Amino acid sequence: MLKKGLMVCAVLLLALTAACGGGNSGNNGNKPTNAPEPTTDNSSTTEPAAPAGLKGNFEIQYFVGGYGDAWWKEVIEEFQKANPDLKIKQSAGPEINDQMKPRWIQGNPPDVVYIDGKGSNERQMIDDGQLLDLTDFLASATNPDGDKVSDILISQPTAYDGGKNFTLPLVFGSWGIFYDKALFKEKGWAVPTDWASFLAVSEQIKGAGTSPLIHTGVYPYYINGGLIDSAMVAANGGDGSILTKQAALEAGSFSSDAVKTALNQIVELRDKGFIDKGAVSLNHTDSQSQWLQHKAAFIPNGLWLENEMKKDIPAGFDFGFIPSVAQAAGANSIVIPYTNTIAIAKDAKNPDAAKAFLQFVFTKQHAVRWAELTGAIMNVKADLDSSSAGSVVKDAMKFFNSDKTTVAPVAVLNADVEKAKQDATLALTVGKIQPEEWMKRLEDAAAKARK
Amino acid sequence: MSQRAKRKFFIAAFIIPTLVFFCVFTLYPIFRGIYISFYDWSGSAKNMDFIGLDNFRELLKDPIIWTAIKNDYFLVVGKVIGILLLATLFAIAITRLNIRGSSFYRVIFFIPNIISVVVIGVLWRYVYNPNMGFINSFLTLFKGEQVQTAWLGQENTAMWSLLWPSIWAGIGFYMILLIAAILSIPSELYEAADLDGASQGRQFWSVTVPLIWEQMKVSILHIVMTTLNGSFIIVWIMTEGGPDNSTQVMGSYLYQMGFRQYHMGYAAAIGVLILILSFITTVVLQRLLRRETIELA
Repeated sequence: MLKKGLMVCAVLLLALTAACGGGNSGNNGNKPTNAPEPTTDNSSTTEPAAPAGLKGNFEIQYFVGGYGDAWWKEVIEEFQKANPDLKIKQSAGPEINDQMKPRWIQGNPPDVVYIDGKGSNERQMIDDGQLLDLTDFLASATNPDGDKVSDILISQPTAYDGGKNFTLPLVFGSWGIFYDKALFKEKGWAVPTDWASFLAVSEQIKGAGTSPLIHTGVYPYYINGGLIDSAMVAANGGDGSILTKQAALEAGSFSSDAVKTALNQIVELRDKGFIDKGAVSLNHTDSQSQWLQHKAAFIPNGLWLENEMKKDIPAGFDFGFIPSVAQAAGANSIVIPYTNTIAIAKDAKNPDAAKAFLQFVFTKQHAVRWAELTGAIMNVKADLDSSSAGSVVKDAMKFFNSDKTTVAPVAVLNADVEKAKQDATLALTVGKIQPEEWMKRLEDAAAKARK
Repeated sequence: MSQRAKRKFFIAAFIIPTLVFFCVFTLYPIFRGIYISFYDWSGSAKNMDFIGLDNFRELLKDPIIWTAIKNDYFLVVGKVIGILLLATLFAIAITRLNIRGSSFYRVIFFIPNIISVVVIGVLWRYVYNPNMGFINSFLTLFKGEQVQTAWLGQENTAMWSLLWPSIWAGIGFYMILLIAAILSIPSELYEAADLDGASQGRQFWSVTVPLIWEQMKVSILHIVMTTLNGSFIIVWIMTEGGPDNSTQVMGSYLYQMGFRQYHMGYAAAIGVLILILSFITTVVLQRLLRRETIELA
């Protein structure tokens, strides 16, 4: 029996270590990795893009999820045509992040990586020193149309470690509050434009026997992104640097007055009974389908929502989107963006081709094709009106283009602090803790992560 | 080849392949896991920093690991009692009490065992759903007002809510095991007991239990081991360790730390802790359950 017990333990450990099996050779991964045919032509980094005659091997890793791979195949084919001598390898699929992990650990990564999906984390890749510093490259990069890449981006690259850029945002989206326009019209509820009107209409909704706000309790980052982050920026006078400071783990950034104000707004929702009682135990699909069935009026979520729930949307349901509700009357709406980024590996064997590819991709035509092929927004200011992007996305675009909207910077928290934030927020929404405890937990987590 | 060499070759032909597999897939991972637990490693970086026992020191100071251990043993105790009680009851009912359609019940009780734990988790999430679930709808009938208890979302009900599906999912296998044990008891023993005027209860305690004790012991140890190592799945499907880490078990916390928060070294240390606790628990149980084995002559 004892042996059997040991065996069972062993199986568990096996599962653990199998997952990091590639780590075995990680220790000797310091040897220099030479390109089979190194391209030494440095001029390609400053030239407009894709100079004809890029040579050697070029490998790109991209995750295939909700956005599919049609856009990637199309763009890579064009890139191949522009560079007939380049040998391009595509490493793609829904499990590609896990499949490629051993190669990253061994120091033999692909040249370009699109960071998205299960098993990928931009910040961790930077912390692990796997991505190339793109700061100088991005400062001067231009695309084949002659546009400066940084001029046409909707969301600028996230600044890490004191202003360095390692990633270039490729997909742009926004958190926000969603509601059913048809339901609001039918019941005569006013669409909120600020905090006071949000409270007023919530009172009305509650009076009608519906929960005003439902959220994805098992994944509290939805309510963080859709409600709390925008509330913090709004309370900070629309200054999004508060999020950047938090991402940089600055002491005190999680306990400033703006944070306190924002948390007190959540407490107000909680104490007035506006948050659905069951939400705490719901995952995203549960809460989203209950929202679609009008069990609740508002849900904090991301712009992928309509696409994700496509099959379950009842007839007559009309998606409405508000970027934020926590702002004072007359103040700007706050957009909390999320992005999926593309980057170059630090150990890339063909960095010139990698840079050329990035320049090649960031054009307005490719952005329109992205919207048409994926229904989402590429991080390039392009005219989507004529494209086949979804109505919510077009609605959201109007907010992004409005001068009554402030777009906050993208700030990615350290994974430990992020988890602490999610736990604390959930505990706050059910009344287990008060704002002081939330701030203390986050300050502690940030202090620990700083070490 | 001499007879002796032949014999040795014959034995080796069976042992060596098994031993190789055992080393590659069991021993190597164990030692690899222990090795990683001495390092500060994100799980994806090229570099691993040796930090000695720091991961384990950290572990002792981590309040979540204590919650996880407590929850693990809550499930162990709950499942051993719940599963064994019900499995024995059903096994007796099906074999000893003359119930009509007993083979039908045997199949019915076994069904949860052929359903994947993932499906069980998803099914029970629906049962517990605060707004549309079976339990709350049922309670609403009696209370007259809408019941909105978030069974999986309240710290005082969440662990209990995980226990029932775990028990429900486990009964079938152990029931079959005990049925087989009971059926192997010669009917003469029961006839003799009947003639001596022993009641059904008396027969159960004096004939059945001693003769199926070995199987009960196996069941208990097996439940303990699978719970300590496998409760990860049901927790991850139903609550992901939430709310606020209150349903975290060691396995789910290991996954959270290793794959969500990128502390693979720390996760490996949790793995080592699971190994140690499983080992200790098994040894202690072996002692506790030692009882004279009664064998049929």
